[in-house]
Amino acid sequence: MSDTVLNDGLGPTRTPEFAARMRKRYRAERNFKLLGLGAVVFSVSVLILLLANMLVNGIGGFQRAEVAVPINFAEQQMVIDERLLETPTAMQTLETQGIADTVQAAAQTAIGEDAAGEIADQAWREVAQALINDTALLNGEQVFYLPVSSDLAQGLAGEGSAQMQALSKTLAEEGKLAKNFDPGFLTRADATSPQQVGIWGALKGSILTMLVTLALAFPIGVLAALYLEEYAPKNRFTDLIEVSINNLAAVPSIIFGLLGLAVFLTIFPNMRSAPLIGGMTLALMTMPVIVISGRNAIKAVPPSIRDGALAVGASPVQVVFHHVLPLAMPGMLTGTIIGMARALGETAPLLLIGMRAFVANPPDGFTSPATVLPMQIFLWSDEIDRGFVERTSAAIIVLLLFLLLMNGLAIYLRNKFENTW
Amino acid sequence: MTVIHDIIKSNADAKMRARDVSVFYGNKQAINDVSIDISPGYVTAFIGPSGCGKSTFLRCFNRMNDTIPTARVTGSIELDGEDIYGDRMDVVQLRARVGMVFQKPNPFPKTIYENIAYGPKIHGMAEKKSELDVVVERSLTRAGLWDEVKDRLDESGTALSGGQQQRLCIARAIAVDPEVILMDEPASALDPIATAKIEELIDELSGRYAIVIVTHSMQQAARVSQRTAFFHLGKMVEYGPTSDIFTNPIEERTKDYITGRYG
Repeated sequence: MSDTVLNDGLGPTRTPEFAARMRKRYRAERNFKLLGLGAVVFSVSVLILLLANMLVNGIGGFQRAEVAVPINFAEQQMVIDERLLETPTAMQTLETQGIADTVQAAAQTAIGEDAAGEIADQAWREVAQALINDTALLNGEQVFYLPVSSDLAQGLAGEGSAQMQALSKTLAEEGKLAKNFDPGFLTRADATSPQQVGIWGALKGSILTMLVTLALAFPIGVLAALYLEEYAPKNRFTDLIEVSINNLAAVPSIIFGLLGLAVFLTIFPNMRSAPLIGGMTLALMTMPVIVISGRNAIKAVPPSIRDGALAVGASPVQVVFHHVLPLAMPGMLTGTIIGMARALGETAPLLLIGMRAFVANPPDGFTSPATVLPMQIFLWSDEIDRGFVERTSAAIIVLLLFLLLMNGLAIYLRNKFENTW
Repeated sequence: MTVIHDIIKSNADAKMRARDVSVFYGNKQAINDVSIDISPGYVTAFIGPSGCGKSTFLRCFNRMNDTIPTARVTGSIELDGEDIYGDRMDVVQLRARVGMVFQKPNPFPKTIYENIAYGPKIHGMAEKKSELDVVVERSLTRAGLWDEVKDRLDESGTALSGGQQQRLCIARAIAVDPEVILMDEPASALDPIATAKIEELIDELSGRYAIVIVTHSMQQAARVSQRTAFFHLGKMVEYGPTSDIFTNPIEERTKDYITGRYG
């Protein structure tokens, strides 16, 4: 009763109750905004933490402990015919000529017997490769930076045995041992010692596998999406196909690996670990994602565009290729890149078709044994030698950069094809 | 019962001739036994209340209903004596001869030039760039758009204003030199000034093509057409010269609609 007296003459939007409700509404909106902002800040900071951590660890992975060893081949009484170095068997020739001993002898004079013993086992191969690449190195004295053993490298990092720590300290003070940037990490393949591993083998394997996946999954996925959207009659059979494709996209990836093992490796028994088989297996996994996103992209093309094209007398195929496909392309590419990114990071199906093998040489082609980046990361993270920790982080950085490159390419392509209507 | 005025009955000259056309969407009948002759060189207007089936009927003339899986058409429609639903009629060719303009302007998301050149290109009517240039200029001029867009032919067709887009669509339709142009409420999404331009354009085009226009606005039908057919509940109620339909309708239902008793 008293309320009506108080509010006499005021409309319902000018009462104190209404003002209180307004304040409550604004408060709710402000709280919701803050909550959302909090979520964004949280995820961004976690991401930054992750990337920073990876970067700090990974930078070391691009370096390795090396000793500087000057070698004068003439003085070491090693005379090699330059023409022999141009033949394909040059590496074997150098090996039989005793290049390993030559390097060892040069190292003993340069850095002493103890330190020379800690040069990595296969370090002479790097010298030999350098000679094959540039025969002029045979003349006069050259300084070679040779990887040291894993033990000495750990000594340099302040870990491992006291003896190694002392040795590394002396060598470092004399300026003969240092951690240098290791460009070879980007050109070599897997090895047993963390000092001599490289990522190129796995990276090339990944690139080859992805090419096969793209070449199979993209055209098949796009054609399937086009057929299902544009031509297929709507009946129980096509419903079944649609359900199957949706289910296929949700099947755990290891199942696809079993399929690859059972089908592809039965048909091509000699191609175990090959990027071709890996790519085919991953294509099976990627294709449903492309079909689903492709169908959604096609559905999003306005029917008025189709009508317009039909009305000037375009045939159904012309409508698809002149109008629907160009307009759906950005959406299809987005789906493709999501599928490809998932395939790039996949290990489980590749385990089953043998791509977890130790492969010491970069693959020559689609049919030679290879491994892929995530598999390499998995393998290295399993190693006991502590030197692999940094290498693993470096490999992760390479994988992330590759992913970034792929996504960047996709965004560029999408913007290029982007249309407005 | 359909009333057809005597003047039309006595005119034997027909560009398109529909006989006993019925259209079904699934089990629902949208058009019930409609027979009509479309005269060449005239503008024929289909009027009637919403949902009376006039747009559905219009879409039978270039078989656009084919794109709706549940739609089924019975009866016959002839273009110059040829059954357009017959086996010998190629639907692509039919649509080149019977063009269509839609309710909502739907230019392709391509340049203005490509919008016009698309039809002639796919039909092989103009191969060389110089020939296409001629077609594009002629079509845009006829659609009254040339002076407005001649300096920006490489801009996107979707960047034009609504009225310009609709005239672009008309230019696109006439670029393939059709014999009949179907217009499905071409001005209903436009403001009065743009509408006036479209009506002017229809008037200019009327001698050259047979034009069939579906419209909601009785004033528009009165302004642009020479023939008017009134549809109600899927049936054609009355068909006659526009002046007679509006001033002297025979059927009671037509009179009620014209005078605004329902609609």
